[in-house]
Parts: sequence; C-alpha cells; structure tokens
Amino acid sequence: MSLHLDSAKPEGAPRATMSVAMVLAFVVVAIVVICAFFGASIAPDSPFTQRLDIGDVPPSAQFLAGTDLLGRDVLSRVIHGAWTALVGPVVVAAGAFSIATVLGLLSGYLGGMVDSVIMRWVDFMLALPTPLVAIVVVGVVGGGYWTAVFVLVILFTAPDTRIVRSAVLEQRPRPYIDAARALGISKTRILVIHILPNVLPIILAYVVLDFAFALVNLAGLSFLGLGVEPGTPDWGRLLFENRTILFTNPVALLLPAGSVILTAVSMNLIGDWLFARLTR
Amino acid sequence: MMAAPLLTVRNLAISAGGRAITTGTNLDIARGETIAIVGESGSGKSLTAKAIGRLLPPGVSARGSIVYNGIELMTLPKREMRQMRGRRLSLMLQDPFTMLNPLMKSGLHVAEMLRDRSEFRDRAALKAEVARRLGEVGITDADVAERMPFQLSGGMSQRVAMAAALARDPELLIADEPSTALDVTTQAEIIKLLKRVQQARGMSLVLITHNLRLAFSTCDRIYVLYAGSLLEVGSARAVEEDPFHPYTLGLLLSEPPADKRVPKLIAIRGKVPRADEVAGRCVFADRCDWAEDECRAATPALAETSAGRFTACIRRRQIAAEMRALRGAALEAESALASLEPSISPIVRAANVVKNFAGRRGRVVQALKGVSIEVRPGESVGLVGESGSGKTTLGRTLVGLETPTSGGIEIAGIDASNFAVMNAADRAETRRTIQMVFQDPYSTLNPRHSVRTSLREAIRTSGRFSDQQVDARIAELLREVGLPESYAERRPASLSGGERQRVAIARSLSVNPKVLVCDEPVSALDVSVQAQILNLFKRLQQELGLSYLFITHDLAVVRQVAERIYVLYLGEIVEQGPAEEVIGRPQHPYTKRLIDSIPR
Repeated sequence: MSLHLDSAKPEGAPRATMSVAMVLAFVVVAIVVICAFFGASIAPDSPFTQRLDIGDVPPSAQFLAGTDLLGRDVLSRVIHGAWTALVGPVVVAAGAFSIATVLGLLSGYLGGMVDSVIMRWVDFMLALPTPLVAIVVVGVVGGGYWTAVFVLVILFTAPDTRIVRSAVLEQRPRPYIDAARALGISKTRILVIHILPNVLPIILAYVVLDFAFALVNLAGLSFLGLGVEPGTPDWGRLLFENRTILFTNPVALLLPAGSVILTAVSMNLIGDWLFARLTR
Repeated sequence: MMAAPLLTVRNLAISAGGRAITTGTNLDIARGETIAIVGESGSGKSLTAKAIGRLLPPGVSARGSIVYNGIELMTLPKREMRQMRGRRLSLMLQDPFTMLNPLMKSGLHVAEMLRDRSEFRDRAALKAEVARRLGEVGITDADVAERMPFQLSGGMSQRVAMAAALARDPELLIADEPSTALDVTTQAEIIKLLKRVQQARGMSLVLITHNLRLAFSTCDRIYVLYAGSLLEVGSARAVEEDPFHPYTLGLLLSEPPADKRVPKLIAIRGKVPRADEVAGRCVFADRCDWAEDECRAATPALAETSAGRFTACIRRRQIAAEMRALRGAALEAESALASLEPSISPIVRAANVVKNFAGRRGRVVQALKGVSIEVRPGESVGLVGESGSGKTTLGRTLVGLETPTSGGIEIAGIDASNFAVMNAADRAETRRTIQMVFQDPYSTLNPRHSVRTSLREAIRTSGRFSDQQVDARIAELLREVGLPESYAERRPASLSGGERQRVAIARSLSVNPKVLVCDEPVSALDVSVQAQILNLFKRLQQELGLSYLFITHDLAVVRQVAERIYVLYLGEIVEQGPAEEVIGRPQHPYTKRLIDSIPR
C-alpha cells in the first residue's frame, strides 16, 4: 500500500502486488486465449465427429467430459468454443470503445452543440434495454453471430461515450491544457497528444470490463438461438443444445456454463485491477 | 521559566510503512502558552499535530510518549482518548471548505459539540449558547447559524470551525495552517481572532504553519521542523533576532521582505528532501553553505545552548559570526529603486475590458468591470488582488484563453480582443509575443509527457526553429531556467514543485515571448524554493528583456519583482502606480487593508 503524504509522492512505479485471485484470473484468460487460437491441436477430438451409436455418455477415460446427444466430444466442443467466446467480445469491446473514444473526446472537449447532440443520442441509447434490443434486431434481421456483435458494438458505444467524456471533462480544466492552448497548439493535437494519453488508462480498464459484458450477452443470445449457426461449438449454444441431457451427462452443461462464468469473472477482476493500477 | 507543562511530547517518531516521517520530536507546551511548529511541505508538521490527537491516517504509526497533564495519551484506551478530544485538546484543520459537513447547518456544527452537556438539554438554551459561541469568534449575525456551509465565505467557515473546535472549552488547541487557504486580509483577521480567543481563555495554542513571519508575530516559542527533525527551538523573539541554525537563517533570508526591494533574494539552494533520504546525517547538510564532513557523519542531536534555546547545528560556535554578518547585511541592504521608463509605448494594452460569466439561474457574474492596464517593453507590472477579484480572468483574457465580453486588447500593436476572429498570422504572432505561467506546478505539465516532449511540442508550434535546432533549443531552455540537461528525459512525477515550475517557465519561454503573464507562479511553492524562482524571474528579465504581468495576492512578492502595481478589487482597478508608492503610501482603503495584513 502506498501513501500520499503532504506533497511527497512515491517515486517510480508502485510495487506490483497481486493476490491469488488475480493470478488465477490471468491464468483463466490465458487458457481461453490459447484454446481460441490452438484449439484444433489441443482438443482430443474433432468437435463435429458424431457417434450416434453411443449417444450421450457421462465422462470416461475416452471422453473426459462425456459426449452430447449426437455423441460429439463435449471437451473438444468447449475448447473450440473459446474462439467465439474470445473474438466476438474483443470486437465488441474494441469497436465500442474506438467509437466512444472519438465521440467522448469531441463531446467533452468541444462542448456546446457537439456535446448536446452526442449526449442526447447517448441518453436515447441508454433508454433502450440492451438484451431486448439485441434479441429483436438479431431475430428480425437475422445473420446470427456477427449481426449480434454489430448490434452490441452500437449498444455499448453509448455508455462508453459517457465514460470517456467524463474523463475528458476532468482533464480539460487542468493548466497543462490551458498552457497548450496559450501556445497555439491545434485542437486536434491537444485532443490526441495531450488529453488522449491521460484518459487512455481509464478507457483500457473499461475495455476489459466491456469484454466481460459482451461475452455474457453473446452467450445469452446464442443460448436463445440468435447467435451462432446451429452446430457451431459455442459456449452459449452448448448450453442450449445440452440442456436436455442434464441428468445423463451433467458435465456437458456445467463445463460450458462454468467457462462463461469463469471467463467473465476473470475479466471483471482484471478490469478492476487495471482500473485501480492505471487511474490512481 | 516554565510551569508544569500541559503537554509533553517525547521522542515522537512517526513512520509510514517502515519509512520514517519524523524522528524523535520533543515538544513542551505550558498552560496558556502559544507555540509554533514551523516547517515546509514534507517536514511532518501536520502529521505531528495529528499524532498528538491520535488521529493519524491508516498506515501511519507513531511511537514515543505524549503526556497531557500527567496522562499518557499513547496508551490511553480509544474510548478515553475520544473523551479527551474536543474537551481537553482540540484540532482545527487547514481547509475551511472541506472541514464543515456540507449537509449540516453551520450552527449545528457547534451545537453538536454541546449536546451532551445537561445544561443545554433545553433547546432555547442550546440555541442561545450556540449564538454566544459564534459571537466569541466574531459572528454576530444570528442568521449565520442557520446557513449551510456552501453559503459561507472561507473566513466565515473557518470561524464556524473555530467555534466548533472551542465549544467544549479545550485547554489546548492545535491549529494546522488555519489561515493558509484564505485571502490575505481574511488571514490576518483569523489569526488575530485566534490569538484573542487564546488570551481571553488562557488556553494553550499550537500553531502549525509554514510562515515564519506569522509564527514570530503570534507565538511565544518556535519549533523549526525540517524533513522530520527539529532543527531549532527557542523563544520567538530570540530566534527572530539571532537564529542559531543555518536553515532558520535561510528561511528568514529567503522570505521576500515586504518593506523594500532587494536586487536579489538570498535563496536556499536545492529542494526539500524526504526524511528517509537524509537519515543518518544532518538533514540540512546538503543545502547548507557551512556543512562540513562532521555534519554528514551522524545526525546531530538537538542540544541546549542556553536556557530554553536548542539548536541541532553542531557548528554553531564556528559559524555564528558569519551568520550574523550575513543577516546584518541583508537587513541593511538598501532598497533598490525600480527604474521606470514611461516614455516607451506599451506592448500590452487592455482598455475597458469587461468579462461576464453566466452564473447560476441565468444570473450574470461580472468578473471584470472595465479594467484598463498597460505593460511596457521590459517592464514588470504587478497585478494584486484576492480570490474573486478577477485577476486570473484578466491574465487569461490577455493570452487569449478567455474572450472579453467588451473592451479592447492590443498585443504588440495587433488587436487581440478576440482570438477567434483574428487571422492565423496575427494569432500566431500574438502567441509568440505573450505567454503564460500558471499557478499550480503539479498540474501545469502533462503528466504523461517527458520534459523533452513538452518542450519540443512548444518549440515546434512556434515555428521558429527547424527540426535540427529543436534539441539544441531544449538544452538552451533548460540551461536558462537553471536545470541540468539530463532533466529532459524526466517525467513531471519525478520533479519537485520548484523544478516543475522551472520547466513550465522554460515551456513558456520556448517561443521567445516578449511578455510573460505569471499567475501566482510561486504561491504553491515552499518558502525556501520561492526565492529561487523569484530570482530566476529577475535574471530572465535582465537577460532576455522580458516584460512581466505578475498576478499575485502577495505584496512582498510583488515588491521584489514589479516596478508598477495595479490593485484589483472586485473586478475594478482601485489603485495603480509605482510599486514603492502604492506600498509605501497606499491611498485606497482596500490597499491599506492589504498592507496592514502582512504579518510583521
């Protein structure tokens, strides 16, 4: 723990201390990333090979997590499912914050009409219930996973814009901004060179939190049959497909469910940790 | 000379996470006595006060003994300690704006302290008592007790806080910088009031301050604290007349004198260290002109030299004569007359500048009500006023950070009233002519940029230097403000307040301006560093032929740097003229009050 006494500030970077929970969170995320990129070589079996003759069986030495109704290896399907669990949320978080950063910087720094227009749009978007809009749009438009990702990008942009704007408003009255203005440095440079680096830590911390929300939302949509194509190994989809075999092979349900929960909790922990470290 | 002391502190050592903040402080306070603990930032003075009240923040711990009237406070159970606070010893803290609960009426702060006394069970009696208590601190308007803290001025808030701190009739009041956050004229009133209450009640008072002059004028005895160690203890008069420790002398000399203008202030070199950086030797040795090897060999103990006088300087006998000579020379130095050259046409001219801000509920707040000032080439002009006078608004308007509601501004012959409608060439030219230095050294630099990045950007924007010249120019700028070239790679976080202000000055000089608007550039700095920066301003003016508009509330500072003074009061210039004349023979009642409030 570091203390700020009078004006004496601790010099250099604060000592990195990490609790066991944090280490575990990073391990979980690392495993998900590895599975997403190297799933094919890690998985003991193809996720699509059907064994209708054996049907759903509980875990055994051959199938560590058992099989589903069509006799597909659950463990392999979960490992392959890491791809959609990673790529969609990453696109949502990065996309939403890229747009939000531009809008937030403009809104917070320029103020006036620009601010009013952007913020009224944000207010409107915030009035919409995110999961409901996603269900309706994906349901009506179709297009599955990537439509869902696109809808979430738009929906997530609104709250993110608010976060960026408030961080910008905090920097705006600082004398170093005044000094830059007095020197005649252009607005664009002030925004990009002076303000952005100072609000970036907050943005990064929230990007990670956005990832967790996007993961849960996408899994939810897949569970409702609005995400990935039927048959795709996806954690939300696995929950939907295997809900009927809860009593014959519970692991087929618990493993994808646990993966969603563990990954989301880990990302939340990492987000909080980043936030505390980067914004003090 | 001393009766049984009311409070005895022995070997009070405060530390945070293994890092020493103070080392073995000894204090004695007699009944009815006023002592001052004088120190700069990081000296540990505020934490010492909190340690006495056992109110240290979490993570900070204290060892030693604090005996109050025969009771050892350090080992007292928490419950009993709570009983002591307020009743026996009371604390008054620095910031009047955060000290009061924003959701409690001001009278309630006092009533809260009286509630557990049986004679005030009755509501009318309580109300009368609250009114009486507020009366004691000079609040006679009965209405004030009903107001919320945000409706009170800083001085009023501080009075309410004082009434609350005194409500349980403590025998000892510890006041931590009670006047620092207030305007100069209010400062003097609060200190006078504190002193009057202390005398009327025969109460003991510990005044914690960074202002040596204030300590001398208010207190019986002085404790000089530096980097966690007491360096000198003695009666106020004795210390003022003949300081024994080089640090005390340095503090006295580096304070800009209010009664005359000196060609150069005598500054203490270097910066204020942290206690753990200077452990195991004389804490002041690195900044002391008389330091020898023996000073760095071990931490000198505070030794009694005569009755009631202590100094931690082991070389006192050898250097006493030299120190006295230095002091004598400083006291006798002739007041250097500022030269005035009224014939040259002004480089900055503001005529009838009015600036309105939109206040709450559409009300218009007039920050400037038709202000006209002039600054001539090579001239240094002081703009004096307190918070709310509009002095900062005027400065910002001149450099184009605000646009005046009406009135004209001319910078080097270019009409610069509205930066938005100027053509690009004129705007660039104006910005190369006039630059600004800001008050707060801690936020004036972008925390994510190294010194080099900050300076390079400023140099490039000016368009006067080619890319090959930029690095040479950065080195030149750092040299001009007295920083080593290696500082270019540093980030603001690793710089001290004084060093940051030097970088900020270098940044504003990067475009080769002719005029600098300096908004309270030294008010946030430690006394021993203030003098360095003021000297820097003086040197830069001579070397570069700069003009200054020096915005400040501190008349002593303005006297050292300015040849002419404008006094701004509630958005209007109430007095102007040569510095000597305005300070020596003030005409306007407000100026008189400003000058009277300088502690002497």
